[in-house]
Amino acid sequence: MPSLPDLAAEHPDYEDLFHNAPCGYVVTSPEWVISAANSTFATMVGAPASELAGRTFPDLLTTGSQLFHETRHVPVLRLQGRADEVALSLERADGTLVPTLVNSVLTTVDGTDEIRMAVFDSTGRRDYERDLLTARRAAESSETRVRVLQQASSAFALADTEEALADAIATAVRDAFTATHASVLLLDAQGELRLAAGVNQLRQTREPGVSSPSLEALRLKRTVTLPNPDHANSFVPGLGDALRAARLEAAIATPLLDKGEPTGVVVCHFGRQRNFDEGSVELFETLARQSSHVLARIRLQDQLTELALHDQLTGLANRKLLEERLNQTLAAVIRKQRAVAILFLDLDGFKVVNDQCGHAVGDSVLQQVSERLRHVVRAGDTIGRYGGDEFVIICDDTDGDAAMVIADRIRSVAREPLTGVPDSCPISASIGIALLGPSTNPAISSDNVLQLADAAMYTSKSEGKDRVTVVSV
Amino acid sequence: MPTHQLTPVQQRNNVTVTGNPEGRPIVFAHGFGCSQEMWRAVAPFFENDYRVVAFDQVGAGGSDLSAYDPGKYDSLHGYADDVLEILEDLDLNDAVFVGHSVSAMIGVLAAARKPERFGALILVGPSPRYINTDGYVGGYEQEDIDSLLDALDANYLGWSATMAPLIMGHSETPALGETLTDSFCSVDPTIARHFARVTFLSDNRRDLREVTTPTLVLQCQADIIAPLAVGQFVHEQIPGSTLVVMNARGHCPNLSAPDELRDEINAFLA
Repeated sequence: MPSLPDLAAEHPDYEDLFHNAPCGYVVTSPEWVISAANSTFATMVGAPASELAGRTFPDLLTTGSQLFHETRHVPVLRLQGRADEVALSLERADGTLVPTLVNSVLTTVDGTDEIRMAVFDSTGRRDYERDLLTARRAAESSETRVRVLQQASSAFALADTEEALADAIATAVRDAFTATHASVLLLDAQGELRLAAGVNQLRQTREPGVSSPSLEALRLKRTVTLPNPDHANSFVPGLGDALRAARLEAAIATPLLDKGEPTGVVVCHFGRQRNFDEGSVELFETLARQSSHVLARIRLQDQLTELALHDQLTGLANRKLLEERLNQTLAAVIRKQRAVAILFLDLDGFKVVNDQCGHAVGDSVLQQVSERLRHVVRAGDTIGRYGGDEFVIICDDTDGDAAMVIADRIRSVAREPLTGVPDSCPISASIGIALLGPSTNPAISSDNVLQLADAAMYTSKSEGKDRVTVVSV
Repeated sequence: MPTHQLTPVQQRNNVTVTGNPEGRPIVFAHGFGCSQEMWRAVAPFFENDYRVVAFDQVGAGGSDLSAYDPGKYDSLHGYADDVLEILEDLDLNDAVFVGHSVSAMIGVLAAARKPERFGALILVGPSPRYINTDGYVGGYEQEDIDSLLDALDANYLGWSATMAPLIMGHSETPALGETLTDSFCSVDPTIARHFARVTFLSDNRRDLREVTTPTLVLQCQADIIAPLAVGQFVHEQIPGSTLVVMNARGHCPNLSAPDELRDEINAFLA
């Protein structure tokens, strides 16, 4: 290995070689106290080499680099004995920054540990990286926004039920805001707020009567941002404490509005404090606005479906829905061996009312009778208008005795005076009941059952009206 | 390597169990920037008498990167959930939890939630709040944390494997079971960025009061990450806690002064 003597012959001045090397050179104690530094390093730092001795190396770094040094450079050097190409920024006395790359080794000289570092000025590379980073961050932030909106719109478009939409909204906002939990609450027809999707820790832990970010957003009809518990407590006393009790620190909530009226609310909860800048609030509101439109569309569709299955005059189930329910009921009878009663009802005297008082009064009679029927049947029973003045009632889990009680109640309410109908035109009900049970032939169809109930009803008519005929199927 | 089947929790956090199976459990938790290797010089001291448990936070070391749910890990509560799951998974009781740096606070949150699992908390260089706020001196301003994120980017941009996805603006979701095992203190760059924000922007000062477990606060000299005043604050806020200022300097006594750290832990547990 002759290289060292050769080098020494050409460069007798080691000190010059050390001081004016093309990289900074620093030696420190294991506690990072500088014991030697070359001129190149001193020039980088902007202080005479003599003044550097005794200072600690981290003191020469920017705060961010100090944090990185302590949490990353130190562990790697200690564990591995060396650390390569660690990017650290020096902060000169005049406040300017020098980006550097540092190679360090932990070594032992005469029984004493020391750290040796080669420090390279990486301003050129750093400028290039800065440009890349700036471009990347700008691209990332606008790309994130566009991506979130695109993904959300396609997820929203695919949703065909309130539940599916609520799921899509909760997923979209949780991802977009890195929220601990996101949830969607929807107002139902009764004005009750129910959890439609996601996790809402606060609803589980909150005392009754205490407000919440969602309730405030609904009340104020605007976005509510609560960046920390103190802010939340000053917004609504106790709200910050309620958040903390649920291990939460921040929240953002915005109402779903349809023509200015709330239909629900979207809320994100965060396990740490958050600052909501203008851009993120805007993104949150855009997502809520988009989903509001979809929610309105889904609710309209539901209404249309509802309409297609109900009689417009009376609001009762129409023939299509009746047959659907009857098929389901028959299947259940056969599967679960249950007793079921199918009541077929025809109004006596309706034709006379229609002819003498006009169709408007006839329609009103059908509406009044429908309303009375709703009150005499039980909650789970289905009442439908089969056509004209014929009605069908499906009473699940009902034996012959119970069916008779219902039929007698119906006859009784049908005889009561009706608004717009003179006493000279009495109305009553002829009823046929088909009873189904464990002995029913499994091959029976809904048409068969209706025909049998209809025939029983005709027996009631022919035997003098306002009576009940029962047939076991 | 253990030959028995690892549970999902053990796989997720790369849990390693060594030492005396009959001994009192002692759990070592590493902080931001490294992995369980941080305890390499300390953990062996306890293997005779203790059942020694170490693990990697999700995103570090041999943890399962696919378990990284950004929403869950957006607060220290998510990490505390993991600690509690590890304790339950191994059915550890009367556990000594030794948390370094941010993991000290993770231990505080976990112990406040399920004190019945914990016998002692050893907080090494804890800080409940790094940002100066309303008269509280945490040592840093928001800009300093931005500057740390710059430093992270400057360092991790050079990793060729991660360069392309970083520049493209989206890193692929890691495959199931994908881990980082090829270098010391390995951390996933994207997760490290998020962990830095969660670590340095959280405010857990109020959680200190809820600790009922016997607690030792270990403070180093000249620790710029967790200055003496912060250690003092932690000590004052945790009822009945003990504060010891060590001779060790800097933020990582587990690497620079393992003997002193061992002695302080033993003295507290004696």
